[in-house]
Amino acid sequence: MHIKYWEELKKDTFGKIGLVLFLFFIVIVLIAPFITRDPQVQTALVFEAPSLEHLLGTNDVGQDIWSRLVWGARTSLLVAIGVGMLSTFLGALIGASAALIGGWYEEIAMRIIDAFLVIPTVILLILVAAFIRPSIWLLIVLISFLRWQGGARIIRSQTLSLKESVHISAAKSFGASRFYILFRHIIPDLAPILVVSFIYSARMAVFMEAGLAFIGITDPSVVSWGKMMHHALNFYYLDIWKWWLLPAGMALSALILVFAFLGYSLEKIMDPRLRKSNA
Amino acid sequence: MNLKRKITNYGIAFLIILSLNFLLPRLMPGTPLTAIYGEEVLVQMTPEFKASLIKRFALDEPLYKQFIFYIFSLFRGDLGYSYYQSGSVFQIILAHLPWTFLLVGFSLILSTIGGIILGIESGWRRGKITDKAILTGMMTLSGFPSFFMGIMLLLFFAVNLGLFPLQGARTPYADIYGIWLVLDVVKHFILPLAALVLVEVSGCYLLTRNTMIMTLRKSFILTAKAKGLPDKKVRYRHAGRNSLLPVVTRTGIKLGTAVTGALFIEIIFSYPGVGNLIYSSLLMRDYPVLQGTLLMVAIFVLAANFFVDLIYKKLDPRVQNAY
Repeated sequence: MHIKYWEELKKDTFGKIGLVLFLFFIVIVLIAPFITRDPQVQTALVFEAPSLEHLLGTNDVGQDIWSRLVWGARTSLLVAIGVGMLSTFLGALIGASAALIGGWYEEIAMRIIDAFLVIPTVILLILVAAFIRPSIWLLIVLISFLRWQGGARIIRSQTLSLKESVHISAAKSFGASRFYILFRHIIPDLAPILVVSFIYSARMAVFMEAGLAFIGITDPSVVSWGKMMHHALNFYYLDIWKWWLLPAGMALSALILVFAFLGYSLEKIMDPRLRKSNA
Repeated sequence: MNLKRKITNYGIAFLIILSLNFLLPRLMPGTPLTAIYGEEVLVQMTPEFKASLIKRFALDEPLYKQFIFYIFSLFRGDLGYSYYQSGSVFQIILAHLPWTFLLVGFSLILSTIGGIILGIESGWRRGKITDKAILTGMMTLSGFPSFFMGIMLLLFFAVNLGLFPLQGARTPYADIYGIWLVLDVVKHFILPLAALVLVEVSGCYLLTRNTMIMTLRKSFILTAKAKGLPDKKVRYRHAGRNSLLPVVTRTGIKLGTAVTGALFIEIIFSYPGVGNLIYSSLLMRDYPVLQGTLLMVAIFVLAANFFVDLIYKKLDPRVQNAY
């Protein structure tokens, strides 16, 4: 039942790459103010080629592309972590409470979950975002409200089976209190599922934010990789895409890959049939 | 999950989409007409035309009556009128749909076949160097967002090498017919299709590989091997075939993602499908077209999912529940 997730994750190649890259992104984002200049400031130096002064050159309004790339990571990570946490929280809250309370409450919750699961999320998101033109914070809330259902479903079924599992009844028979069981057994056993739910929501959120920015639905005050790519694509006939568009796209793909690798690796660890050490 | 429950689920989903579509423009600040038609248009309108529009959407009535009105006009196929493109929204969407169908259809077929074959070969050789190489390649592919994949193909093959046309689905104003027209369409089709297939293939591959690994543990595989069947037969006839089911059902469920992927890729290649229509209506703030298109796409995906859900049981008698 209790798998050493951390050990297993460090043993898995994809897990290792994912972890290292994730730490790399976190560090870059944290030290961003020290390694960049103001990403929004416009200068007369337009379309500069990469140099020591401007590591990735400048764009059409003279903004430093390297700085915009790094600050774009801030936006993407903010959306990823924000949506990951909020949607996992919503999923855990509704999924676990549905399992524990049951009755008509569970029935209604499940109906809503099932209905939302068949709705094409991105299309609905474009529709809503096109009308309300959300700020970055509102976007996090919006994506979360469209994305908690998958997690909720899994958390509910897991809680249901945990409720009936032997080690819980054993703890009960030893006179463990409800709180003790919740914190000592149910939450630790749900933790890996919560983490996987976090990772997949985060991955989806990074893609959605960039995608929306790419088609022009974006908060004008934030720097976003999607917006950079969209903007740079207008100048495809110049060589500038090599240090403008490509780094933005690569960074975006790398961040999505981080979550894909971590998710895949964790899923493999959780499914003993796929785990090699167990074969 | 019984049929009744399924129908209710889809019914609720349908209702959510409809209500959002109905409520969004009406909850926006300003008159609903501004949100429905955009500010620029409203300025140019004559008072008479404005009055006729208000009547058309029953905007002077209470909200619930407006909703009934809205539903009725939807069932008549009336999605509104585009002031920018001066045409019925329904007709405009119909003109764009075939290109998206073409793109989504072919990419689904190709990525499914490719994913299955690669998944079977990879799962069969689990842990070997070929498996590791394919797995790493596919995992990397799964990180690329559809629009970046499209951009890279466009920049490399169309801009740098000049092998393919930059945009569109046909050469504009070209006076060509018959086989040349077909060739022209194919030439424009290849890059968007390739981009979409590359994005889609990894999901199918990963699933096939996983089910393949599990199927290979079953005893009938051992029996097949013990009978002395050639490897290829065991791989495809026995293991492969039995790993297919989740993949086939997934293809239907994947439709939603495929359509979204196509939307982005169409924008990059200026491919004249609904994705491009959504994009141009976003730029023009042509809300009737935007709403109508998103509604039609959502309903289409919903219907396809429903269909797959229905035939799911028929494909495999062992499966009673989707979960």
